[in-house]
Amino acid sequence: MEVFYTIPVSIGKKALGIWAGIRDFGNYVKSIGLSFKSLRYLRFRSLYSTVINQTRFTGIDALNFVVLIALIIGATVIIQAITNLPKFGTEGFIGNVLVIIVARELGPLITALIVISRSGSAIAAEISTQKQNREILSMEIMGIDTRLYIVFPRIIASILAILSLIIIFDLTAFIGGYVIARTTVYIAPETFLQTVLDAFSLKDLLATFIKSLIYGILVPLICCYYGFKPRSKFEVPIYVSRAVIRTLFTIIVVNVIISVLFYF
Amino acid sequence: MNENLLKLEQVTYTSINHDPLNDVSFSLARGENLVLFGPENSGIETVLMMVLDLDETYEGSILYKNMNIKELDYVGKHNYKKEIGFVHGVYGLISNMSVEDNISLPLEYHSRMSENEIKKHVSRLIYELNLDYCKKFRPVDLSSSEMLRTSYARAIAMDPELLLIQHPSEGQSPLNIQSFIENLKERADRDDRSVVIVTYEPEKFIDFSDHFIMIFSGRVVFDGTRNEFLDSDNRYLQQYKSGSSLGPMAIL
Repeated sequence: MEVFYTIPVSIGKKALGIWAGIRDFGNYVKSIGLSFKSLRYLRFRSLYSTVINQTRFTGIDALNFVVLIALIIGATVIIQAITNLPKFGTEGFIGNVLVIIVARELGPLITALIVISRSGSAIAAEISTQKQNREILSMEIMGIDTRLYIVFPRIIASILAILSLIIIFDLTAFIGGYVIARTTVYIAPETFLQTVLDAFSLKDLLATFIKSLIYGILVPLICCYYGFKPRSKFEVPIYVSRAVIRTLFTIIVVNVIISVLFYF
Repeated sequence: MNENLLKLEQVTYTSINHDPLNDVSFSLARGENLVLFGPENSGIETVLMMVLDLDETYEGSILYKNMNIKELDYVGKHNYKKEIGFVHGVYGLISNMSVEDNISLPLEYHSRMSENEIKKHVSRLIYELNLDYCKKFRPVDLSSSEMLRTSYARAIAMDPELLLIQHPSEGQSPLNIQSFIENLKERADRDDRSVVIVTYEPEKFIDFSDHFIMIFSGRVVFDGTRNEFLDSDNRYLQQYKSGSSLGPMAIL
C-alpha cells in the first residue's frame, strides 16, 4: 500500500523540481534581457575578440569533423535511396528523400549535436572554471555585466557558426555523398542535381535558417546557464554534464516542434 | 579634509555563509586612506563585500558620495562600480587573457578612449609596475607578485576615486612588490583619491594611512588615527598587536 503513496509523492517532487528549474532558467533569461539596458554603456570593441574566438572554435575548428560526418551520412542516405527506391518504383523521388532526410532533419540536428558536444561542453566548463577562480566576480565588481559580456557574444558566434556549419553539412552531404556513392551505384550527375534542386523549396531554406537561429541562441544560453551554476569545484563536472544532456534534449524537442510547424 | 566619500551607517548583517556584522558605522572622507583590519572571521571581508555591493540583505545603509548604494538602480550601480577599483585577494585575473589584455579590459569595456590611447595608458601602467617583461604572459605563467601587480594595474586603469585592496601583502616577497608599494604610496598621497586596505597586517601600512579601524566579532572595536593606532591602550588592539591568546578576543 505504501507504493500508492510514495510513487505519486516522488512524481510530484520531481515535477516541482522541474518547474523550479524552468522558473530559474526563466529568471536567468529575464536577467539577460534586463542586461540589454546597459548596451548603450557598452563599448562593442570589448566583445569583438570573444565573438571572433568563439566563432573560430565553434565553426572553423569543427569543420573537419562536420565534413567527415556529412560525407558518411550523405553517402549512406544516397546509397540507401538509390538501391531501395527502385524496389518501390519511386526512384524519381530520390531528390525529395535527400532533402527531407538530410537537409530538413539530419543536417541541422547533427550539426547542433556536434556543436553541443564540442562547444557547449567547453562553454559550460570555461565559465564554471572562471567562476571558481573568481574571474566572474572580478568582472562584476569592475562593473562588467557578465550576462552581456559572456553570454551575448557567444550567442552571436554560435548563430554564425551553426548557420555556416549547417550549409556546409548539407552541401558536403549532397556533393561528397554523391561522389562516394558513385563508387557503389551509378546515377547520372545531372539527374542527381536536377532531382535535388527540384525537391528544394523556399520553405526548406527558411526552416534551416530558423533552426540555426534558434539552436544558435539555445546552445550557448543553456550551456552558459549551467556554467554559472557550480558553487564549488566539486560541482563543475556535474553541471557540465547537465549542460550537455539538457541542451541535447532541448534541441531534439525544438527540432521536432519546428519540423511539425513547417511541414505538418 | 573633504566631504564623505564612503559612509557606513549602522550596518548589521546576519548570514550562515558569511561573517556577521553588528551595527558597524564609520566614514571615509575623499582623499582619506583607511586600513581595515581584524582577525579571521571578524567581519572585515563582509564589510568589503557590502561596500562592493555583492549582497544587499543587510540592515542600515552604505552611502557613496551621499547616495545609498542599495537604492541605486541598474544604471546607478553600473556607474558606481565604474568608479571603484578592487584588487582581489586571489587576484581574479582573467585566465584566457594576457597581462596586457587584463589591464585593458575595464578600459575597453567602459572608457571612451581610442584604441591607441588605451594602448598608451596600459603601456605606462605596465612600465610603472615593472611588468614589461611579462606583458604577453597569461595568469598561469605569472608569479604571485606579478599577479598582484597586474591586478592592481587593472584596478587603477580607470583611475577610480575609491580603491579597495584585499590582503595585498600576504604571501608576497616585499622585494618583488616594490613597484606596487611605490605606486600605491603615490596614490595614497593624492587628495582626490582614497584607498581602503583590508589586511591582517595593519602595521605594514602605517605610512599609507592615517585612519585605522579594527573589527572583531562583527563590531568596530577600534577606530582611530595613525597615532592612536600606535599609542592606544585599547585592549583589543593591544592583543592584536602582541598576537597573544590572552585578552578580550577569544581566538580559536
